[in-house]
Amino acid sequence: MNLEYLWQGFAVALTWQNLLIGFIGCFIGTMVGALPAIGPINGIALLLPIAYTMGLPAESTMILLAAIYCGAEYGGRISSILLNVPGDAGAVMTALDGYPLARQGRAGEALALSGISSFVGGILGSIGLALFAPLLSGLAIGFGPAEYFVLMVFAFATLGSMVGSQPVKTLIGCTLGLMLATVGIDATSGAYRFTFGEPELGDGIEFVILVIGLFSISEALIILEHQGRGFTVIRDLGRMTARMSDIIFCTAATLRSSVIGFVVGVLPGTGASVSSAIAYTTEKRLSDTEGTFGKGDVRGLAAPEAANNATACGAFVPMLTLGVPGSGTTAVMLGALMLYNIQPGPMLLVERPEVVGGLVASLFVGNLILLALNLPLVNIFARVLTVPNWLLVPGILVLSIVGVYSTHASVFSIYLMLGIGIVGWLLRKAGFDMAPIILGFVLGRVMEVNLRNALAISGGDISILFESTISIVLWIMAATIAVLPALLAHRARKRIKEAALSA
Amino acid sequence: MSDNTRTTLLIGRIGALCLLGFAAAYGIAASRIDYAFSSDPLGPRVVPLILAAILCLLCLLYLRSPGTAERFPTGPLLWRVLAVPVLLVISVALFEPAGFAPSIFVLTFGTALIFGAPVTKALFGAIGHAALWWFTFAWLLEVYLPAGALFD
Repeated sequence: MNLEYLWQGFAVALTWQNLLIGFIGCFIGTMVGALPAIGPINGIALLLPIAYTMGLPAESTMILLAAIYCGAEYGGRISSILLNVPGDAGAVMTALDGYPLARQGRAGEALALSGISSFVGGILGSIGLALFAPLLSGLAIGFGPAEYFVLMVFAFATLGSMVGSQPVKTLIGCTLGLMLATVGIDATSGAYRFTFGEPELGDGIEFVILVIGLFSISEALIILEHQGRGFTVIRDLGRMTARMSDIIFCTAATLRSSVIGFVVGVLPGTGASVSSAIAYTTEKRLSDTEGTFGKGDVRGLAAPEAANNATACGAFVPMLTLGVPGSGTTAVMLGALMLYNIQPGPMLLVERPEVVGGLVASLFVGNLILLALNLPLVNIFARVLTVPNWLLVPGILVLSIVGVYSTHASVFSIYLMLGIGIVGWLLRKAGFDMAPIILGFVLGRVMEVNLRNALAISGGDISILFESTISIVLWIMAATIAVLPALLAHRARKRIKEAALSA
Repeated sequence: MSDNTRTTLLIGRIGALCLLGFAAAYGIAASRIDYAFSSDPLGPRVVPLILAAILCLLCLLYLRSPGTAERFPTGPLLWRVLAVPVLLVISVALFEPAGFAPSIFVLTFGTALIFGAPVTKALFGAIGHAALWWFTFAWLLEVYLPAGALFD
C-alpha cells in the first residue's frame, strides 16, 4: 500500500503555520462543540469564508476545518456531561451515562475519561482513514461519468433510508438541494437557469451563502425560541483525572466502538448520531449484565465518545476518495474544496496529495492537540457554557454577515443569505434536516454534469447507465438500501401483529 | 386526536402544499429555459424538469403522512422571532452607506434586547461587538469591510 501521500502530508501538517492553524481550529472547535446551540457545521460555515478571504492555501483551510470538526466532536461531551444537553448530535448518547456520573460528583473524571475515549476513537479513525483512502481511491479510479452518476444515486438512496426517522423529508431536502444547484448559467448550453435577470445569480447560488443561511441564521431563530428553557450547569467537577481502573475497564468498549464508529462514518449519509447510538446499544447488549447503563456506567460514556470521534474520521473516506460526503459536515468541507476549484474524487489523491495527506496527517496531530487541550483546560471550556445568549447570538449574526460579505463584497449576497435563513427556519420547524439540502446542493452540479456527459458519450442511449459491472453493483446496492428498511419495518409490524394475536 | 397532533398534521400539510407549489413553479420556469444549442442530448431543461417531477411526487407522499413538526411560536415570542430578520434587514441596509461599525452596533444592540439583555448590558455588548469585530477583521485580518460615510 502506498502511504507516500501520508508522509508528504506530515511535512505539510507539521509546518509551524499549519500547527498554529490546527491549534486554533481545535480550540475553536471544542468551544463550538461545547455550546449546545452551535454544531460543527455552524463553526465550519462561519470560519470557511474568512479562511478563504484571508488567502489561506487549500491544505491549510482543510486543516483548519478538520480541526474544528474534530474539536467539536470532543467539545460536544462537555455540555452533555455538565448540562445533560448534548453539544452536538453525536453527543446525545454521552449524556445518558455522563450526566448521572456528573451528578454523583464525578464530572471531572467523566470529562477526563471521555476525553481519552475520544482520543482513542479519533486516532483509530485516523489510522483507518489513512489505510482505506488509497484503497478506495484506487478502486474508484476507473469510474466514468455513468458510474459517477450511479454513485450519486447510491449516496442519495443511503441518505433517504438512514438519515433521520422521516425519509420522505430527507429526500425532499436532497431534491431541494439539487434544485438550488441548477441555478446559474448552464455550462454546456450557456442558458440562464432560474436567475430571474439577476446578474449575481449567473454563477449560481454561492455555497457559503447557502450554508451560512441554512445553518447560522436559522439557528439564531431557533435559539431565540428555545432560550426560555433553563439549564443547570454542574459546577462541582471533582477530581479532574480519570482513574486507571476505569480506563482499563473501558478498553474493550472503546476499541469496539471506535471500529463501529469508523465503519458507520464511511457509509454516506450516516453521521455521529447514528454511530454513537449503535455503539451505545451494542455495548449495552454485550456488557450491561448488572443494569448499570444509564445510571453512570463508564462504559456507556466511553463507547459513544469513541464512536463519534472515529465517525468524524471515517466520514472523510468517501469525501476524499469518491467526492461523496459521509456526513453533513463533510458536505460543507467538500464545498470548501470546490471553493478552491479542487474537484474531490479518486484523482484528488494523485493530483493534490498535499491536500489529502495534509488533512489526514493533521487529524493525527489534531487529536494529540485535542487531548492536550481537553484534559487540563476542560475547566475553561466548561465556562463557555455560561456565556449568555444575548452576547453569543449577535456574535453569530455578525460572523454570518462578515463571512458572506468578505467573499462577495455584495449586499445582495447578505439579503440572499437572510432569505435562505428564513426558509431554513421554516423547514426546520416543519421537521426537515438541513444536511440533506447541503448534500444535494454539493452533489447536484457534479451529478448533472456526469449524467449529461454519460449520455453525450452514448449519444443519448440511457443503457450506458446500466452497462458496467460497477454501475450494476451500485444500482443493486442503491435499490437494496432504499427498499430494505421498508421491508424490515413491514416484517416487524407483521411479527408484532402475530404476537398480539397469539397472546 | 390531540391538539398537538392536529397542529403538527396541519403544519405538515401546509408545508407540503407550499413545496408542491414551489415544485410546480420551478417546473414551469424550467420548461421556459431558453437556449439555442446544447452539445449534449439532454440540454439544460430536462434535469430541472425531472427534479420538479420528483419533488411533486415526494410532496404527495409528504402530504399523505406529514410526520412530526414543531409548533410555530405565537404571541410575543413570534414578534421577537420576526424582529430578528427585520433587524438584519435594517442592519444590511445600513451596511454600506453607514459603514460596518454603526450597522453592527444596531444589529447587536437590537438582538441583545430581543434576547432579553438589560439596556445597559446590551449597549456595552453592542459597542464591544462593533469594536471587536472591526478590529479583528478590518485591522488584524485585513478583510475588506465598508468604513461608511462617517469614517471614510
